[in-house]
Amino acid sequence: MEQKNILEIKDLHFSYNKGDEILKGLNFSLDDRTTAIIGQNGAGKTTFVKLLKGLLRPTCGSILFEGKDISTMTVAQLARHIGMVFQNPNDQIFKNRVLDEVMYGPLKIGMSETVAKEKSMAALELVGLSGFEDKNPYDLGLSSRKLVAIASIIAMDTKVIIFDEPTIAQDFYGKERIKSVIRKLRSEGVTVITIIHDMDFVADVFERVIVFAKGGVLLDGSAKDVFADEAILKEAYLEQPNVTKLCQNLGYEEVFLNTDEFVTYWRKKTG
Amino acid sequence: MKSISLYEEKGSLLNKLAPESKILYIIIALLLPVIMGSRWVSIGFIAVSFFLLLISKVLRKTVPILSISGFVLLTVVIIQGIFRAGNVTPVFAVGPVSFYKEGLMFAFEIVVNVLNILLSFCVLILTAKPSDIVENFVRKGFSPRFGYVFISVFQIVPQMTETMSTITDAQRSRGMETEGNLLVRIKAFGPLISPVVMSSLINTRERALALEVRGFNARNKKTFLNDEKKCGADKYIQLGMLAMLIAGIVWRVAGWR
Ligand SMILES: Nc1ncnc2c1ncn2[C@@H]1O[C@H](COP(=O)(O)OP(=O)(O)O)[C@@H](O)[C@H]1O
Ligand SMILES: [Mg+2]
Repeated sequence: MEQKNILEIKDLHFSYNKGDEILKGLNFSLDDRTTAIIGQNGAGKTTFVKLLKGLLRPTCGSILFEGKDISTMTVAQLARHIGMVFQNPNDQIFKNRVLDEVMYGPLKIGMSETVAKEKSMAALELVGLSGFEDKNPYDLGLSSRKLVAIASIIAMDTKVIIFDEPTIAQDFYGKERIKSVIRKLRSEGVTVITIIHDMDFVADVFERVIVFAKGGVLLDGSAKDVFADEAILKEAYLEQPNVTKLCQNLGYEEVFLNTDEFVTYWRKKTG
Repeated sequence: MKSISLYEEKGSLLNKLAPESKILYIIIALLLPVIMGSRWVSIGFIAVSFFLLLISKVLRKTVPILSISGFVLLTVVIIQGIFRAGNVTPVFAVGPVSFYKEGLMFAFEIVVNVLNILLSFCVLILTAKPSDIVENFVRKGFSPRFGYVFISVFQIVPQMTETMSTITDAQRSRGMETEGNLLVRIKAFGPLISPVVMSSLINTRERALALEVRGFNARNKKTFLNDEKKCGADKYIQLGMLAMLIAGIVWRVAGWR
């Protein structure tokens, strides 16, 4: 199937301080597949997504969004096209009403009051916070507050949404919620990119996995291909998902990403 | 994390000395000129401070400090040189304005004193780690609570600036403009400052809890994680400086007779 490239990264270099290069020439494209970026702490994942958002500018190379170089756009202009949910919801929440907080972004990028409200209500419903519109975000727990932050970006109706560590501080229910949010966004044609350390979560939801190591791409492929390669993952100080590890140790040749996959296989085999 | 302290470990002789020795140095650098009543003593100390900073490889770090104060001092020289009451002896003239000897001498005195104060403090600040200074005070009986407050400033301020920049990024990502005219900046104030305040409050509470579970308020005698910062030479250096101070006082008292 021919995939349409949403973002093209061309020979991307970046350094905070001269002589200490953090990203050393990245070359790949991102399409509408859900993509997980994994890698050890300090590998340059956050730096990379900040470059996608225009919060940092490349020292060399370029990033094209739908064929257009993003260096020609301001951060505020890019905000219409690429949304990003930061790791800590406390870094963004400032309104004392959930609905106002969610509506802030949509209004800022030029939606009318009615459209913004409509989108915000829909986003809140998607994350499972309908009925919480009038609550104060700080009266909610951290995991719900994170969902408010997620809704506030979804409501902006962008083509691309980036999540930085969405599963931190989430319980089982919260993780399942976020999984279904990502699947829903995918079905609506939104490109979802996530920085994440939770391999089981990656194995469950993501189609493509990119492994960052020492400022370069170590592996790039479908979740199955990437997680099959235990040796290279070790090199990047990463682990396989639990189910993958278990099945490998049990002696199966095939790569299983999650319990559902294995159960289906097992049922078919045993009839 | 960016540090707000100007200190940097360079493995120099002064890095090894106890902070008390450097504090004592500041005291005698400021007191001796007064006791002995001669600006030559100040000039001497300026030279010594320069030398100490040079051998500690931190002379370059004094440049920003000196250039800012240098600007202020220059205005002092100009204003005193031209306008000081009691100016009678012109020394030189620049165009229609003439500079007077009395004013210039007075300004010179100020410049010498300010430089002496600045450089002797630089000797301490650029070569001693803030937490070492405070810890050695606590060892000598200073309240550990206040000690903590002083040290925490050096941790909390960089943490807050980091939070600030993350918050700015988060809000810009939602389409907020931060650059532009005054109105734009005023509008940006709420979305930027409220998360900072909320985060600080949350952090403060967590910090208090973390300190409490580690026995911050315990009444037992406290031990220290780090070894005391001092070396063998410290005792002699401190004694030497005290001797200089006493010698200065004696010289002055004897000189009066
Ligand atoms: N503001 C900054 N200034 C200087 N260096 C930084 C800054 N932010 C991150 N770095 C450095 O860049 C490298 C990559 O950081 P980051 O992109 O945050 O990695 P990751 O998100 O993969 O953990 C790290 O070595 C980090 O120390
Ligand atoms: Mg990161």
